[in-house]
Amino acid sequence: MENKLKDVLIIGGGIAGIQAALDLGDMGIKVHLVERKPSIGGIMAQLDKTFPTNDCSI
Amino acid sequence: MLDVGRHPNVNILAYSEVESLKGDIGNFTATVRKKARYVDEDICNACGDCLVKCPVKKIPDDFDMGLKNRKAVYQYFSQGIPAVMTIDPDNCIYLKKGKCGVCKTKCVKGAIDYEQKDKILELDVGAVIVATGLDVFDPTPLTQYGYGKMKNVITGLEYERLINATGPTGGNLLRPSDGEMAHKVAYVQCVGSRDFNYCNYCSSVCCMYAIKDAMLGREHEPDSESYIFHTDFRNVGKWFQKYEIRGKEEYGINYIRGRVADITEDENQNPILWYEDTETREVKSLNVEMAVLSTAAMAAKGSSELAKKLGVNLSEHGFVAAGLPYPSDTNVPGIFACGFCIGPADIPESVAQASAAANRAAEVVFLGEKKKTA
Repeated sequence: MENKLKDVLIIGGGIAGIQAALDLGDMGIKVHLVERKPSIGGIMAQLDKTFPTNDCSI
Repeated sequence: MLDVGRHPNVNILAYSEVESLKGDIGNFTATVRKKARYVDEDICNACGDCLVKCPVKKIPDDFDMGLKNRKAVYQYFSQGIPAVMTIDPDNCIYLKKGKCGVCKTKCVKGAIDYEQKDKILELDVGAVIVATGLDVFDPTPLTQYGYGKMKNVITGLEYERLINATGPTGGNLLRPSDGEMAHKVAYVQCVGSRDFNYCNYCSSVCCMYAIKDAMLGREHEPDSESYIFHTDFRNVGKWFQKYEIRGKEEYGINYIRGRVADITEDENQNPILWYEDTETREVKSLNVEMAVLSTAAMAAKGSSELAKKLGVNLSEHGFVAAGLPYPSDTNVPGIFACGFCIGPADIPESVAQASAAANRAAEVVFLGEKKKTA
């Protein structure tokens, strides 16, 4: 059964794409995470801290 | 980011783009172009030996908003995943003229491969999630703010890089004009947002990020002054109102209700902000050392072309039309969307939407075609 599950394609490797990939991956579904930039992370990786907790973004 | 990089079920295809998508819910075939990095991803460990002697030095670094230069062989950012170098074919002398090859001689692992070609991958997938995010608005057309002409007028994302310890100034808030520390900083809200000529909507994240930026500025330089010029604060979210109050009471940020009409410059390249204080109904000016434009955020460049390839409808502002009957459903069964690509959203909201989209996609995968989405 496990082997017959279809994969999921995620387009965009920012915070939304990463979260979706982690959720699906944890459910046992194989994910292809496509990002056009050389590394994933998106805009969030460019930020220093994030509101409203002022936590580090990476 | 690290977690996803290590996850056994996640195949990261960075530096890649979707070329086309065929098929139907439960049975899509995606064609993905994996662009040539000219570096073998399996061998490279991003040690950086290759870039030390690269003679091409003056390429504006995209990640650092052009505030720093990079070389023709580069790592997109230091903690980037996958942790590999990339050669920029538009600027590499070897790839353009066939001469140089310095990076190849410096790489002890033999990871540089000038012959590498783009790879076309065919992926069979059951569902697709669009999470293409945003690009920031370029404020150059708003000539009254002088962005691009006045060196000490910068955008919010440029500020983020300046104040970041891994950024071009090592986390010091140095003015672009003379490299001096900026002690008096103004933040200008609604630059391009809520503007009928440009983005006729509220970008929703700028009020909060301006407060955050001002807090960080004060943390770095406790004797500095911060001014936020806002149309009206739209801090809607859990703990957001408290954050706004904290900014004022704990950090001493000055909130001024009024849209900045014009920015001029004095002889020391200090920006002068002209505005109407809507509480006193007076036209005033404020001389600062640096002005930060809280620029609008819009659907990412190229997202409309992608939407066409997928057959997904867009809304009036170019965002992916999602929401009916479930928040992450698009008009195409089996294609879901989340994050800023469906409309302005901050990080917590993007994360919540992403989990919703992941669950909808999982339903398709687990239940197969038995459960149609629309």
